[in-house]
Amino acid sequence: MSILIIGLSLSFLLFLLAAGLTLIFGMLGVINFAHGALYMLGAYICYQVVTMTGSFWIGLLVAPLVVALLGALMEMTALRRVYDRDHIYQLLLTFGFILVIDELTKVIWGLDYKQVPTPALFAQPVELFGSMIPSYRLFVIGFGAAVSLALFLLLDRSKWGIVIRAASADADMAQALGIDVSRVRTAVFALGAGLAAIGGAVTAPLVPIELGMGFSIIIDCFIVVIIGGLGNIRGAILASLLIGMARAAGYTYATEWVELITFALLIGTLMFRPAGLFSVKGRTA
Amino acid sequence: MKRRQFLHTAGAAALATALPAPMLRAANAPEDFHIAAILAFSGAYGLIGKDMRLGAELAAAQRGGKVLGKTIRFSWEDDETKPQPAVQKATRLLSGGANMIFGAVGSASTLALQSLATQRKIPQLVTISADDVITKPGGSRYSFRTSNTLGMEVKMCMEFVKLSGLKRIYAVTADYQATRDGFEQFRTMAEAAGVEIVGNDYAPLGNRDYSVIIDKMANSDADGIIVVATGNDGVTFVKQAGQVGLGKDRTIFGPVLQDETFAAATGDAALGVYSGVRYHFSTDNPANKAFVEAYRAANNVYPSSFAGEAYDGLSWWFDVIESTDSWDVETWVDAFEDSVRENSIEGRKEMRACDHQATQVGLFGKVVRGEAPLPPLTMQITSVFPPEALFAAC
Amino acid sequence: MKTTWLGTALMGLIVGAMILVPFVWTGGEAANLVALILVWALFAIGFDLVFGTAGMLSFGHAALLGSGGYALAILTVAHGWGFMPALGMAALVGAAMAFGLSIFAVRVSGLFFSLLTLALAQMIYVLASTKLRGLTGGLDGIAGVPRPALFGIDLYDNDNFYVFIVVVFLIGLGLMALLRASPFGRSLRAVQANEVRAAQLGYNVQRLRQAAFVISGAYAGVAGSLLASLIFYISPQMLHWSVSGDVLIMTVLGGKGTLLGPVLGVAVFELLKEELSQYTQYWYGILGAVFIAATIFLPNGIAGLFAPRRDRDKGEGR
Repeated sequence: MSILIIGLSLSFLLFLLAAGLTLIFGMLGVINFAHGALYMLGAYICYQVVTMTGSFWIGLLVAPLVVALLGALMEMTALRRVYDRDHIYQLLLTFGFILVIDELTKVIWGLDYKQVPTPALFAQPVELFGSMIPSYRLFVIGFGAAVSLALFLLLDRSKWGIVIRAASADADMAQALGIDVSRVRTAVFALGAGLAAIGGAVTAPLVPIELGMGFSIIIDCFIVVIIGGLGNIRGAILASLLIGMARAAGYTYATEWVELITFALLIGTLMFRPAGLFSVKGRTA
Repeated sequence: MKRRQFLHTAGAAALATALPAPMLRAANAPEDFHIAAILAFSGAYGLIGKDMRLGAELAAAQRGGKVLGKTIRFSWEDDETKPQPAVQKATRLLSGGANMIFGAVGSASTLALQSLATQRKIPQLVTISADDVITKPGGSRYSFRTSNTLGMEVKMCMEFVKLSGLKRIYAVTADYQATRDGFEQFRTMAEAAGVEIVGNDYAPLGNRDYSVIIDKMANSDADGIIVVATGNDGVTFVKQAGQVGLGKDRTIFGPVLQDETFAAATGDAALGVYSGVRYHFSTDNPANKAFVEAYRAANNVYPSSFAGEAYDGLSWWFDVIESTDSWDVETWVDAFEDSVRENSIEGRKEMRACDHQATQVGLFGKVVRGEAPLPPLTMQITSVFPPEALFAAC
Repeated sequence: MKTTWLGTALMGLIVGAMILVPFVWTGGEAANLVALILVWALFAIGFDLVFGTAGMLSFGHAALLGSGGYALAILTVAHGWGFMPALGMAALVGAAMAFGLSIFAVRVSGLFFSLLTLALAQMIYVLASTKLRGLTGGLDGIAGVPRPALFGIDLYDNDNFYVFIVVVFLIGLGLMALLRASPFGRSLRAVQANEVRAAQLGYNVQRLRQAAFVISGAYAGVAGSLLASLIFYISPQMLHWSVSGDVLIMTVLGGKGTLLGPVLGVAVFELLKEELSQYTQYWYGILGAVFIAATIFLPNGIAGLFAPRRDRDKGEGR
């Protein structure tokens, strides 16, 4: 049974990592290669805040705000100029941002590993189904579920969501209807960047914080996005659950195959449902 | 010279394409002792390269920056913790007439440089990479290692198991050739000593989640946990193990699991974790005291094991080639093969002619809280194993 | 994009001058750098057949480069093959790998194709690093990849090996020029310009794309072999997705869809990297900034500078 809990925590962590990428892709059609770099930045900022204030929760709040601001800046100074070009140019720009963000992080925080302690509230393990489960993992499950619900409500049920989807479906038409499309785009990119930072901040107490951490998650994020059906939040949740559970089972029975299990899921999906396992017609939340 | 002219032309080409022309580099002074220092300054081991450089520069500075009457010139190159840039940059420096290779950090890079050194007949000094195959009998004539091997560190782990009376061990091993070999070696020794291996999981290199493996360990009857992984992997494991208090009733240890650098990245979860230590600033001998003092004066911190090993290896190497009074590579190699270092900062070291590995004592310690000026988490050396217990005859 | 006759000639002149540099200044150092540029250029030329000419952004080209390199390394080191037969085999292996990837990949198009090739290639990277370690040497790679032995000349001398690489490069460049001008090249551009129209005109779009991918694989296979042999070493790093990213950057920087643009892109990229890393530890970030600026302000890459008339007809790139 403990495997289910751990699997859930793997799943929701994965979802938190991939949500921003999914959102930006779904709504803007941009593959944000710098997603991993923004995630890393989120973890570093969280570390900085924890060092200064001693509170993880302030870090979890501040990191996404700062990174969202940076995201807005990236969108307004660079990405905006290439929307009317081929998709490739947007991808290339975000690729260039990886190098710049990595360098900035190195200049600000240096090469030393950083660490964020587990927040005191969740530092003690709890016993569930005969296993000691880190309570921080339970927090990750709850927080991940809350974020996914909030995203779903925002995009599917709120007026905001309608505006975003309208701008995404037909920018010209939306513009004609009086929607400021370019502001919507900036907001969406900022939101996606902020989500990346949330992923980074939530991961911070689990791993050492170092310069390579962004590089190591980007492929996982892409796999979630592909299996989920490009840019589809519901799909991303389901894909995260599928991969997270498969990995938990993999770690239990065949640890050294875990990486390949993920790829096997990917290839299976692409063979039988090339548009993604959970794709819905058109882009939606 | 040639390079300079080449860059002129290259610059012209770049100008023609409206990009900033590369600046010109000063021509090599022909009469210096040129070291191609290929280390990791970015990537997974970026931190290690930085410390090694500080140690190496101190070794050069302490002899007036000269060897054989010529200025010691380092070319610091970043291999980004990847073998390909390592070979590429070394190839370029060797074409430019470098006298030796110092490096690399990661074993994969070091092995790649080794084949280059052998082929170009250029000496290579290794002071950190631990893969056993770097120094093997009948290996490269031009490569020398003055630091630990993974094999001796695994042996230290076994000695530690015997000392602490552990009976049942659960292992987690990074899925990488050297660490797999290390685990197999440990398993063989454990079986011979009547210690049971109750489980082993191979986790992917760069694994970010050990929760399931830790859960399996917590539900086993193991009294010891060996972690045959290093760097990020080791830190991540110890950190996540701390969240369930795995170390409370089980002893966590590993060949290169913790030192001051890794403990700082792990946090309090590192307390009480045991690990092999390559060099430690607390070693009590006059050479080490002098080194620690000089290093702290220059950098205001205690030397890490990376800085200490780099300093120790290079000082030894410089002394040996100084003593040959020759610029002949073969003479250097022959002299280093039979060299003994009585006053190394880690005590006596002896270079073996058969495999070019320096025999030395092995340190084992655990993470404890440190009082300023020590780092907040520091290693306390708990055992010193003699070379006879760690090195098999060639 | 269309470059003028004069522009093409100018670009050719620059590339030619670059190739001649190591002949004038011998000693191995210049040869080493330009050889590296030419090998990568060969890779980029092949990549651009898929990317610039056929309009598919492959993010899995590292798998093709690496499998070629491994084919040569394994055949020569472990099986005692001669260099030249192994080089031929590497081209075939690169092409076969491309064919294998294409079975999955040409089912989808657009960004899906990019992500799919990326994921598949990364799986091959993981396999080579772990499960196939008996064959590939795992993450430690294979050291001591040999160089050819031809007519008793010592090709371990960088200046001599350079000549060999120039010959292979020129053959590859020439073949690609012919290919691009051939009916096959024209049909590829027709597919890129308008997939639906091309299909209605009777082109088998999938088959054409697959063919381009396979040819590109052969180029990558040869380039990977030469790279392994140039640095005497191969490791899974050559299969890593960042290699696919590098070749993409170089190609766009130089100008996609042109014959010589990618070559210039590679040259500028390598020179920038080489020079910046000598002068500043921040070279990585500066490279990123240069790249961002180039993407925004030089949409047609360096080759675009040689095309004073903006020609939007992509069907006539030269």
